[in-house]
Amino acid sequence: MASGATNFYDLYRHGSLGVSLTDALDELIGDERIDPQLAMKVLTQFDRIIAETLQEKVKARLTFKGSLDTYRFCDEVWTFLIRNVTFKLDNGSQTVQADKVKIVSCSAKRTEEK
Amino acid sequence: MSNAAVGPVYDSIITEVINSVRVDFEENGVDEGVLEDLKKRWQAKLSQMKVAQFPWDPKPEPPPASAAGTGTQAATVPQTSAPATNNYTHSTLSPQGPAQSLSLPGQLAPNAGGMALKQEPGLVNADPVIKQEPGLPSMPSMHPGYNPAATARGTAAQRAAQALENQFGQRAAASINAIHSGMASQMNAGAQPQQSTRPGQAPQPMNAQQQYRQDVAAAMQQRLQQVPHTGAPNGLPASQVDGPSDAACGSGPRPTMGRTEIDEHLHAQLAARAKQMEGGGLMLPLKDATKDRSVPTTRPSKGGLAQHDGAEDGIKSEEDEDKDAINSDLDDSDEDKDDEEDDDESMGHMMLCMYDKVQRVKNKWKCILKDGVLTVNGKEYVFHKATGEYEW
Repeated sequence: MASGATNFYDLYRHGSLGVSLTDALDELIGDERIDPQLAMKVLTQFDRIIAETLQEKVKARLTFKGSLDTYRFCDEVWTFLIRNVTFKLDNGSQTVQADKVKIVSCSAKRTEEK
Repeated sequence: MSNAAVGPVYDSIITEVINSVRVDFEENGVDEGVLEDLKKRWQAKLSQMKVAQFPWDPKPEPPPASAAGTGTQAATVPQTSAPATNNYTHSTLSPQGPAQSLSLPGQLAPNAGGMALKQEPGLVNADPVIKQEPGLPSMPSMHPGYNPAATARGTAAQRAAQALENQFGQRAAASINAIHSGMASQMNAGAQPQQSTRPGQAPQPMNAQQQYRQDVAAAMQQRLQQVPHTGAPNGLPASQVDGPSDAACGSGPRPTMGRTEIDEHLHAQLAARAKQMEGGGLMLPLKDATKDRSVPTTRPSKGGLAQHDGAEDGIKSEEDEDKDAINSDLDDSDEDKDDEEDDDESMGHMMLCMYDKVQRVKNKWKCILKDGVLTVNGKEYVFHKATGEYEW
């Protein structure tokens, strides 16, 4: 379990939930209804809460197979570009195909340690 | 299914984030309505992405959901536009304030204040006008101050000084003559045109002063023409030709003769002279620059601030340095292009997650991922654990 309130990855900000939140915050900043600093606090809270929620409340499993196009490991972040991916959701009852999927993955250990 | 789980999970995340930042909003003095607005916008934008079915969307039919999403966004558009214009006017007005206050030198500040006040109160105008009277004789003393800056006007200033001396001398002479002669009214009527022309010559560089003098002279003429009708003694009009009479006369009819125009001329004149006195604006930019910078930085506007730019650049450059430190430039550019292509084609095909294990045996990779969000084909999935096997 992540203990500290800080040091959560902000990679989830690039997901739909994070992008929509960032857009909403940008609008409010543009209207000068909130400070940018306050928006940063919101995003920091978002980093923590989405990480905790995904850890605690999500039980779904999935497996996927494909051909790895490119891979990169930088600053403890793995980035994969996989082509012709087949995702099997849960117990394999549903499959999803995709031409290519980009995977951005941060180390799970770092959050747990810190 | 994991896709069906997205809605409740995201809903709980949104609720929890909103609740956890409520304290921060209160500490920053931001109204709670803004927080609610943030939540609504967040949900609306998420609904527009249509990555999953969300609890706040009307469930039975997708069209209402989209309609609700667009409706809320349409409602937000006026809100964004109205404050934006306000900001614009603020930002455009703010530089003018300091510029005006800066451009006026200390000596002229009282006059400026009087002029600023003059436009609003109607009858109190007499006081600023009287105050300007002593100010005008002091203007010749300021000629040496600004004329060096404007070298072309050096000779004009000398001529103006001489003309003023002549003017005052003749004025005094005229008044003395008027007193002695006893035919005050007609003599004054004759003397006034002279005065009106001489003051006009004296401050030749300054149109405002010229006009003002002319106006004063005209006012005196009116006043003096009225005085005989009221049956005033002959001696009084004669004494009024002197300095004090200017104030007395100016106070009466002056408001009726286009004082706003005079004010504008005077103000423009003062501002121009102030710039000249400060070295043709060479010394101003320091003050202007500091003030102009301080003004926008206090404002939390998002764009165009030097400090914001600097800070962001610094952060970005650090990140870039970190990336460059490990990866070669070629790899970065190539893969970045690929990534951009992916993002452009569909920001959907992306998985954000944590990794537990990444193993490779020859060209076979095996990963154990967890706590991820997967977006594929416009749908979003959340997973607690994922295992992937792929070949390179």
